[in-house]
Amino acid sequence: MNAHDAGSAGGPPPAQSPEYRVAHLQDRLASGELGELGVRIEIRGEAVLVTGTVPSARCREDVLSTVREELTGLEVHCDIVVSEASSPDHAEELS
Amino acid sequence: MIRIAAVGDIHMAPETRGLLRPAFDTLPECADVLLLAGDLTRHGTPEEARVVADEIRGLGVPVVAVLGNHDHHDDRPDEVAALLRDAGAHVLEGEGTVVDGGGARIGVAGTKGFGGGFVGRSAGEFGEPVMKEFVRHSRRCADSLRTSLERLEEEDCDVRIALTHYSPVPETLAGEPLEIYPFLGSYLLAEAIDTAGADLAVHGHAHAGTEHGMTTGGVKVRNVAQPVIGRAFHVYHLPVPERLRSGAGAQATTG
Repeated sequence: MNAHDAGSAGGPPPAQSPEYRVAHLQDRLASGELGELGVRIEIRGEAVLVTGTVPSARCREDVLSTVREELTGLEVHCDIVVSEASSPDHAEELS
Repeated sequence: MIRIAAVGDIHMAPETRGLLRPAFDTLPECADVLLLAGDLTRHGTPEEARVVADEIRGLGVPVVAVLGNHDHHDDRPDEVAALLRDAGAHVLEGEGTVVDGGGARIGVAGTKGFGGGFVGRSAGEFGEPVMKEFVRHSRRCADSLRTSLERLEEEDCDVRIALTHYSPVPETLAGEPLEIYPFLGSYLLAEAIDTAGADLAVHGHAHAGTEHGMTTGGVKVRNVAQPVIGRAFHVYHLPVPERLRSGAGAQATTG
């Protein structure tokens, strides 16, 4: 099958499929200036779910901005949280 | 007791400067040593390393660190390590150190470690040069960990801890996709720990993993990646060895 065949079948060209777009996004987040490997991006039905923990609110905004830019036209659900920086309230006893 | 504080994957950069310091300033009250399990920066730049250095300088407890894959990204791991050492940290790669923590001799053997996977599902030293080098790098890290732990055994440490970035066991990866386990750790690290012996193994790297695990030989493993522990650090209390309970270190055990 070539791209023309795929287009005539009614779906997007293979290179534009959400799966490849998500894969390219993941690669850009990791290898680009963000260096972010801790964010998971999954296709959920018609939408894309973005989860993970990042070190700062600014980092979360940067990730989201890149996600929206890369996945224009797709619905994005974001559940990225920022790392907790407080002291622990207990210790674990290892016997 | 001997009190071990640990955290990994703090991924510091200029925008997070000072974020962890308030919590780190409480360390002398609750811990005898702070272990940093790699990925201390986001991209491994000297600028980011300076942020980490300022965060740990003059903490009041010894700081022992290994670097992670993020700390290698800018291809300047030696500069990153030097900046952390200037701030007083012991930065380990294939070596051990003994620090005095509350009267106890705490031995820490450290290596970044590497991937390759776990028993029955691991990469082999076969085929293309880059594949063979991948496995050899993991093997070199594990071998150095074993040697470092064995040397610490000869140095009369009260406890010995294996500090890595990559995981020695799959249990602490639970929550991560199974498909990426070979990039998250290697059984070679666990084999080294079990061969040489240790009282605790601490690692990071797996943000979506689980805190608790154990090697086949029964050594407790803790994944202290900050997203996993949800705190600036976690503290583990190790039992006081008999020598300290009955001997010269008795004062340190009452605190």
